[in-house]
Amino acid sequence: MKSQILRFFLSLFLFWGSFSLAQPKISVGLGLGLYEPTLSGFDENSDVKFPTGNMLNRNFLFNWAVYYEFFSNARLGYNSYSSFEVGKLDLINSKAVYRRTIIYRMFPLETYFRWKPRIELNFTLTPIWGRGRIFVDTTPGDKSEDWNQLINSFGDSKPVSDLGATDAMTNDWIGFSGMIGIRYYLSTRIGLDMKMGFMDNSYKNEKWRLQKKEVTGPKMKIDELPLFSFKVFYGFK
Amino acid sequence: MRQFTSTVLFFVFLFGQESMADRPNPCEDPLLNLAEKKGIKAIPIKDIPRFRKLMKACEDKGGYKVIEKIVHKDWQRDYKKAKTMASFTPTFSVIVFLVMIYYFIGLAIATK
Repeated sequence: MKSQILRFFLSLFLFWGSFSLAQPKISVGLGLGLYEPTLSGFDENSDVKFPTGNMLNRNFLFNWAVYYEFFSNARLGYNSYSSFEVGKLDLINSKAVYRRTIIYRMFPLETYFRWKPRIELNFTLTPIWGRGRIFVDTTPGDKSEDWNQLINSFGDSKPVSDLGATDAMTNDWIGFSGMIGIRYYLSTRIGLDMKMGFMDNSYKNEKWRLQKKEVTGPKMKIDELPLFSFKVFYGFK
Repeated sequence: MRQFTSTVLFFVFLFGQESMADRPNPCEDPLLNLAEKKGIKAIPIKDIPRFRKLMKACEDKGGYKVIEKIVHKDWQRDYKKAKTMASFTPTFSVIVFLVMIYYFIGLAIATK
């Protein structure tokens, strides 16, 4: 109880205090990125048939960002570009639900100047912390028997069958990106931001991990990629 | 905890019901003064809905020029603040520009 009251006052102080005591310089953005990776590990896989690639799950990146203006012409922030794919895989024992995510997490340093009152030019350099994840829902053989034993011990007599389990293989890598952008302010708070640039990722397909074991993952060519992005920004500053 | 939250909410609603009707002139509200002196973005987030209502009320009472002045000053303030680069920012921008040129020339040569 005591800690809940303390937490309440702390959150009250942090939330209202930060906005009322000083002028905040925070902006958030939401948008889309566009790039063209070569995911040959999925598209040219002859053993397992992956869902057909299309613009949405290959070329589009869902993008959100938050920036803090720490200097009159410079911002620091966090920028996340995510690619998703969902589908079913025809494996030997089951038709497994499969999900694939590739997230490019960027920590950009951006400098800018206003060319005209409504038009801003910006320059960004950023390191990238990339993460790829592949989730597969499988149906391990002993799973139903073990669960049935457990729930029967609680008095349930109806057996369950075909229980699935989700495991994920993960890969992390680093990279960097450079971008030049133009932002058009619709109002003093809202702006449309377009950027073009490149990103370079040091991805290695032998470095995937599945339950702490190192495994080989899909081949993906995600180095030296041109990158375009379009975002809507709202400035709290 | 539930009683505490209810008490806090009660007082929030009680003191949140301040009517704008009893203010003589919305154009002279301290919030509009703050926006004029320090910019629209100086207004705390929680006061933005009230600020919007005040702007509309002020316009309705014939204060169109007051609002126009606030908005114009805000644009000019942002523009003046950011139209020239200072300190390390021009150097950084040139580096980004050169990195981009280097990358795209490399890409063009590699794809020939």
